[in-house]
Amino acid sequence: MREVDYTEYSNRQLAAVPLAVLALAILILVGWSLFVTGAPTDPGAPVTPGIDFTGGTELRVESDMTQQEVEASFDQTVISVQGVVGSGDTYVVRLQSSDVQSIRQQAQAADMNVLSSASTAPSFGAGAQQTAVIGLVVAFTGMSLLVFGLFRTFVPSLAVVVSAFSDIIIPLAVMNFIGIKLSLGTVAALLMLIGYSVDSDILLNNHVLRRSGGFYESVYRAMETGITMTLTSIAAMSVMAVVATIFNIDLMADIGIVLVIGLTADLMNTYLLNLSLLRWYKYEGVAR
Amino acid sequence: MSAIRDNWRIVLLVLLLVASAVVLFVPGATAGGGANETEAPTGANVSADERDSGWTNLQYGIQLDGGSRIRAPIVGNTTENVNITSFNESDSLETTLAQRFEIDRLDVEVTPNEQNEPDSGTVEVYSRNVTQAELLTALQDEGYDVSESDVRNGVTQSTRDEMVSVIDEKLQVSALTGADVREARTPTGENYIVIEATGRDIGELRQILDERGIVRQYVLYQAQNGSVVREEVLTQEDFDDIGSVRQDQAGRYSVGVTLSDSAAGPFMQAMQTHGYTQGTRCGVDTTSSTPPEEQLSAGDRCLLTTLNEEPVFAAGVEPGLASSFRDDTFVNDPSMSMTAPDRDRARNLELSLKVGAPLPAPLDFAEAQTTSLQPSLGDQYKTNSVITGLIAVIAVSGAVYTRYRDPRVAAPMVVTALSEVVILLGFVSLVQFPIDLSHIAGFIAVIGTGVDDLIIIADEILQEKGVATGRVFQNRFRKAFWVIGAAAATTIIAMSPLMVLSLGDLTGFAIVTIVGVLIGVLVTRPAYGDILRHLVLSEDER
Repeated sequence: MREVDYTEYSNRQLAAVPLAVLALAILILVGWSLFVTGAPTDPGAPVTPGIDFTGGTELRVESDMTQQEVEASFDQTVISVQGVVGSGDTYVVRLQSSDVQSIRQQAQAADMNVLSSASTAPSFGAGAQQTAVIGLVVAFTGMSLLVFGLFRTFVPSLAVVVSAFSDIIIPLAVMNFIGIKLSLGTVAALLMLIGYSVDSDILLNNHVLRRSGGFYESVYRAMETGITMTLTSIAAMSVMAVVATIFNIDLMADIGIVLVIGLTADLMNTYLLNLSLLRWYKYEGVAR
Repeated sequence: MSAIRDNWRIVLLVLLLVASAVVLFVPGATAGGGANETEAPTGANVSADERDSGWTNLQYGIQLDGGSRIRAPIVGNTTENVNITSFNESDSLETTLAQRFEIDRLDVEVTPNEQNEPDSGTVEVYSRNVTQAELLTALQDEGYDVSESDVRNGVTQSTRDEMVSVIDEKLQVSALTGADVREARTPTGENYIVIEATGRDIGELRQILDERGIVRQYVLYQAQNGSVVREEVLTQEDFDDIGSVRQDQAGRYSVGVTLSDSAAGPFMQAMQTHGYTQGTRCGVDTTSSTPPEEQLSAGDRCLLTTLNEEPVFAAGVEPGLASSFRDDTFVNDPSMSMTAPDRDRARNLELSLKVGAPLPAPLDFAEAQTTSLQPSLGDQYKTNSVITGLIAVIAVSGAVYTRYRDPRVAAPMVVTALSEVVILLGFVSLVQFPIDLSHIAGFIAVIGTGVDDLIIIADEILQEKGVATGRVFQNRFRKAFWVIGAAAATTIIAMSPLMVLSLGDLTGFAIVTIVGVLIGVLVTRPAYGDILRHLVLSEDER
């Protein structure tokens, strides 16, 4: 890591990359809301909401039938039928209707073994969505206030908050592309990111602001510890994502994937964005 | 002695680990200990507790043990600030509204104004077919001064409390072990009821909840002028002792009942008034689709029992019972038996009678959220998620070892992080908190943050300059702790909304993460600092 020579780059150059990525991510989310989930006149959600929020039913069934036959067994609109990796006769069926009783009866009538079912009424999902947004806003605001309280200086605190914001926005945008819908699990992962991703920022700020020693010396020491931390977390979460995907534990897989993306974004945001703001503050901001 | 005092952090960690092991593995060491057992009903076809709690005292939720959960709002609209002065007035208003909307009187609840009483001056209507506007107009027509702002969706707190207690009773009587019911509220102010039953199919749960469980008994006969008399003589509150379903020689299913002392007298008088003092005949077949009233022939004198307004039993009075009505001896032994056409309906009748009170309002299943999982899939999740967790730990160990290349630093790190999970498991076992998939994700998150903090401690203490004295160690440890404390505080703040907001499975995830972080910051991570001190300081430098 010591190979990176920050003195060769201006603050503007350092901040340009993460800010460009953040802008692109925001653009994707806005575009998604205007053209994918909604229309320019009627904007939708920035990320495609899953059954937890739109309402609907998800079944996990065992059946000898083919995917098409499974799909044809239901009267209700079928959103998707997915074969489960590693067990040929298990399918995950998602339906728009939340009438779980009638759906289960139809599945049983077609000789499917219903392993699990989950249904959410649309009104219930809408409430959950509102709750999730409230939760994210409260968590983010609380974290921001705490960071400002800890450092009591504007620019370094802002640097942490902006990095954390970007750490959440980037995975949201990536979710759209890799087809992960917003679920309770991904909301949990986003909240965890708020807590997780500021660790390395706090560490960096602490070393630079509260310790003796030169700026670059402090930065390198913080980086050594911080990058180990984040890479360890990424290792744990990517393993969790891969293994949970193989085992078809969707909730854990979703949490793992979102955290891997968020923590990777955090590496960039901490050591480019936060660092450049900190350097500006240390060399120019304080002097003013 | 001084060795213990100097290493109190490690001692505390070891003590907590031992305590957790006791709580986890010693049978009966936890608070719950069998309090969940419900009285098994005699004659029920449900075998004893089938759930195998395994070799730990951990409780599993429905995702890992199989089972069903329903979250559903209650059907109903409520008008507040209605000036009803007496119980007589509320009684007559209930009748008026029930007639006007053509609904059962049970579906109207009027609570008169009373000082310091909750929910006083309210009118509730539990029916999908009555809109808020209709309720408002009806009350205004009756001369009450109410406006649009007084009417709201939902029911009163006392009705919700009653729902919870009646459903709880129903679950217990129906022998759904491991079943639980509670009330929850969304931040947007909507209330709903959460019903959970471990190891049960959602169909079974729905069947119990679908039914309001309203039992009534009527006299049914043709009066001399040819008109049909149908009058309520008993409701389920009038019963004292309910037997179990029995099958007689003729193959009929019946439930033996005993009336309460206060109900027996009035019932006997009613029997005398309506002329049930001789053995009576009844040609009504409740299994037929023709309403009982139309099946009635001239000489019939029936006792008609309905369950949720559906006829389940109609029969004449046997001569022996009739004579006890005639000579006033019925009150000495007020028992009789009620027959049902099939076993299922007999069971439902028994259940409803045993619960004693009907559900005050129906649950709105169209607006519900449900989860159901077969025990076999739960077992699969249980094994697989543990494997996932273990592999994540191996990945963490690998990453840490790559960084330090020194097993003396890396090994205690992994052991410390794992001990956090053990203590956390001890905690959830102690409070008998049911573990679900989301909690296992929480455990993995705790390992992640835990190791992060241990890396901070290790890097701070193992600086190149070397730790010469115990004082330098203390100083560095304190510096590391500032960062760890700050990081822990942000995690707790980020997770705390989930603890309060009702977002399904995520509450448990948040609790596990927060408790894990607290255990880490207060116990295990400081202990790791002490372990490192032993590694880096020679005997006399400590």
